[in-house]
Amino acid sequence: MSIKQTSMVAALLMACPALMFGAGTVKGKVTFTGTPVKQKPIDMSKEPSCAKQYPTPPTTQTIVTGEGDTLENVVVYISAGAPDETTAPTQAVTFEQKGCRYMPHVLAMRVNQELKVVNSDQTSHNIHPLAKVNREWNKSQPPGTPPLSEKFDKEEFISVKCNVHPWMRGYFAVLKTSHYDVSKDNGSFALPNLPPGKYTLTAWHEDYGTQTADVMIAGSETKNVNFAFKAKAF
Amino acid sequence: MSSRIFAVLQSVICAMLLLVVLCASTPSHAIPAFARKYGMPCSACHEAWPKLNNFGQTFKDNGYQLMNDRDAPIWQNPAYWPITFRITPNWHRESTNKVGVDTAAGPNAVEQSIASHGFDFSGLDFHTGGTLYKNISFYVLPSSNQYGAFHFETVMARLDNLLGSSWLNLKLGKFELDNIISEKRILTISNNGGFYRLYHFAPVGDSNAFGAIGDNQLGLEVMGHSKNDRDRYSVAVLSSNDGQPGLPAGNSYSTFLTASHAFEAGKLGVQRVGAYAFLGEAPTYFLTSNGATIPGSGLGSKSFNREGIFGLFYVKALDFSVFFQHGSDDAHFGTNTPANQPLPTGARAPSWNGAFVETHYTANPQLIFIERSEFVRVATQALPGTPSNLGNIDAHTVGVRWYPIMSSRAGFAWHNEFSWVRQRGVAPVSGTDLSSNSVMTGFDFDF
Amino acid sequence: MRTKIFQGMFVAIGVAFLAAASLCGAQEMESHIGSLTGHSNDGTKLYKRYCFYCHGQYGDGAGENAAWIEPKPRDFTAATFKCRSTTTGFLPTDEDLYKSIARGFSNSNMPPWAPLSNQNRADLVAYIKTFSPRWKTEKPAEVLVVPSEPPVNIESISHGHELFEKLECWKCHGQEGRGDGPSASTLTDSKDQPIRPYNFAGGANDSRFKCGSENADIYKIFMTGVDGTPMPSFGDVIKPNDAWDLVHFLRTLQVNRKSKENEVLKAAGGKLLPEKPAPPAPEAPAAPDAKAPGSR
Repeated sequence: MSIKQTSMVAALLMACPALMFGAGTVKGKVTFTGTPVKQKPIDMSKEPSCAKQYPTPPTTQTIVTGEGDTLENVVVYISAGAPDETTAPTQAVTFEQKGCRYMPHVLAMRVNQELKVVNSDQTSHNIHPLAKVNREWNKSQPPGTPPLSEKFDKEEFISVKCNVHPWMRGYFAVLKTSHYDVSKDNGSFALPNLPPGKYTLTAWHEDYGTQTADVMIAGSETKNVNFAFKAKAF
Repeated sequence: MSSRIFAVLQSVICAMLLLVVLCASTPSHAIPAFARKYGMPCSACHEAWPKLNNFGQTFKDNGYQLMNDRDAPIWQNPAYWPITFRITPNWHRESTNKVGVDTAAGPNAVEQSIASHGFDFSGLDFHTGGTLYKNISFYVLPSSNQYGAFHFETVMARLDNLLGSSWLNLKLGKFELDNIISEKRILTISNNGGFYRLYHFAPVGDSNAFGAIGDNQLGLEVMGHSKNDRDRYSVAVLSSNDGQPGLPAGNSYSTFLTASHAFEAGKLGVQRVGAYAFLGEAPTYFLTSNGATIPGSGLGSKSFNREGIFGLFYVKALDFSVFFQHGSDDAHFGTNTPANQPLPTGARAPSWNGAFVETHYTANPQLIFIERSEFVRVATQALPGTPSNLGNIDAHTVGVRWYPIMSSRAGFAWHNEFSWVRQRGVAPVSGTDLSSNSVMTGFDFDF
Repeated sequence: MRTKIFQGMFVAIGVAFLAAASLCGAQEMESHIGSLTGHSNDGTKLYKRYCFYCHGQYGDGAGENAAWIEPKPRDFTAATFKCRSTTTGFLPTDEDLYKSIARGFSNSNMPPWAPLSNQNRADLVAYIKTFSPRWKTEKPAEVLVVPSEPPVNIESISHGHELFEKLECWKCHGQEGRGDGPSASTLTDSKDQPIRPYNFAGGANDSRFKCGSENADIYKIFMTGVDGTPMPSFGDVIKPNDAWDLVHFLRTLQVNRKSKENEVLKAAGGKLLPEKPAPPAPEAPAAPDAKAPGSR
């Protein structure tokens, strides 16, 4: 995460002279109410090289919760109020295929930021982002091949799959802003270095959809914003 | 003199009977059964149904196959039965300028103009066709006249793409001769305008009923084409029975040959030119038993021939179907003389030349305007002394068809037509020119 | 006298036809195939005549007939196309589309439209390009260069088989290319419709691939991928010569087809050569350093 923060700071230094007047932070927690669908164990028997890495079968990652009904893998970002940032950070983000799962399950990145896709498995994967706004590509990555390098040039939440291993499902959040975070296992997120202003915060979850909240940053202050998603029954 | 009038009268009656038969059946192969099978609208295969476009012609030439691995019936829902009917309720007006009318002075004493009009409907066609298997196709068309009397207009099966080549296809049965300008797909359907005169022409007094290239014939056809149908040929051996089942005439055969080549003229479209010939012989008399004709005992076969060139020319939305014919019958046909009897003095083989140009303006796939002008000129009359222009034909037809729906399930056209024809010297009493016209408006539909 | 009036009337109507025929409009999109230039305005009527019933009035693949056919008609608004000579994710060339229209897709309802004039097909390509703004905003993609084909021999076929194993083509296509690999039953296209992997062994002597029947067409299929389907691009991971070896092996999976490859295999007693080097360890990078043509 430190890489991301550094890159954010770099971007901010370039894009936001307002930083001179002090910077605020928005922090908070993402939780859910109700009973989320129980995640199913994945049958990896068709791919023994992956199956053997797990003493017990791993589960799907559509809904990942933590103690205190916290929700992981929620992308929280400034959707309005901050200028679009066109200069992509030079640092690449990495998406790893490991044990026939995606690490991380949800990967946020900037428009035109380099994306490296790594195959750490002993099997071939095909990396297939089902983009609608961006170009939809689909590349094979046999074991041992160097990382693929790609980028997306438009803002979009993209579902990613591997057709060979149908249980593999992940998401790319391609954003125009440098102010974003993905909620941790305790549901927490933090958007530091926000210049003073009025912002709209959006929280996106792959299954539960989006929520928004308005927040005003006056100076070097920390505002708390929490999101609570209603769990779908099925 | 009286024999001359009798002959003219006979031919007029024959022509009228022919008209009735033609109008009752005017079968076309516009068939939503195919559209349903492949889920395409009529316009994919038809310039304006029933007239085919290049894609539809290729589909037909492939044996009702699109050639995309989905042609075998196994791909269809088992309940699918490839059948389509077509019928046309209408209002029409028929007018003839000279009809022989009885008066107190005697039968047929005067000629009078007669017009009749009213609501009516056409005959009914049941089209069924398609593939029995990949590369085996069929077509069966029971067709009725407007009184419900059925006959089989088409009955054929075809082996397609023999030896894996589109150049070799074998068809057996009763089928339309391979006329690219298909009379079965004619866009005009009124009593006067519903057929091509040249596809059925015979000079006045000619007894040859076997030379009509517009009639479906019984026979065997070898046909081939390039993959995109730009080049095509066909050779057919036909029984000289004019398509009648049960071997009514005899043991003679005729042959129909045609070939055409199409080329692209840039933005104008695909142009096609071709030639055809219908050569054959047919009996001139029969053995009789107690005075009655013995079917199939035709004797004294004499020859006939029809040949010419044709073209389909496109100028974007405008297109022209152009057809020429030179035809000739043996003098025995021309003078209605059995071969075992002497020819009248000076009898010659009658011959004629003719042409038509049919113009279409396809405003869009749902609206087409049609104009056709057709001329037949007798070059040689069978008997010397016959007026040289006897039987000459001038015919003009205009029409417009509007297709309010574009569907793969059914076809519907609001059909409007006016047709006029003049034949020289065949008025029943005076022997002057006879002209008639048809006005028609109707709902032409199939499902 | 009446005759003259009638004939005059027909001539007048004929002239009216000609006058009505001279219609033209402004141009929106163009296509360029060799010396041909297609115009989307000319393609409008053609699209309505031939295409809209499946592909839909708005090009979204939701024509009236779409519900009844499988696989579903292409959605032109997504501008994702299967048969390309361009890198995965990129727009195809005009010529790719032009050829696809003429060739049709053998395992679908899309017939070969070769009977249409070249100009008609070029106009349709131009019209199809009006359905997605991508055609205006995206730069033309790099076109895959297919190098000349090396000779077919048993070494080439055997090496192709090794690649088939190593690249795990069999996961979907099956060990014998029958489209029955372990993942086959789970595959879906980008619209979540079930889709079957290509069955190489099916079909007779005239069996075709989706994107053409030549060896170079097979080469292109796996080097560019079949976009919108589970078939990925191998352009980054296969070297040109290796790609030809794979092509040669794939031909032998078409057991019912007469081919040079099947003859060579038969002459070798139907046996492939044993694998020469030990299979590369997963850790050792087996991939090429130089990128294959078509990759970026």
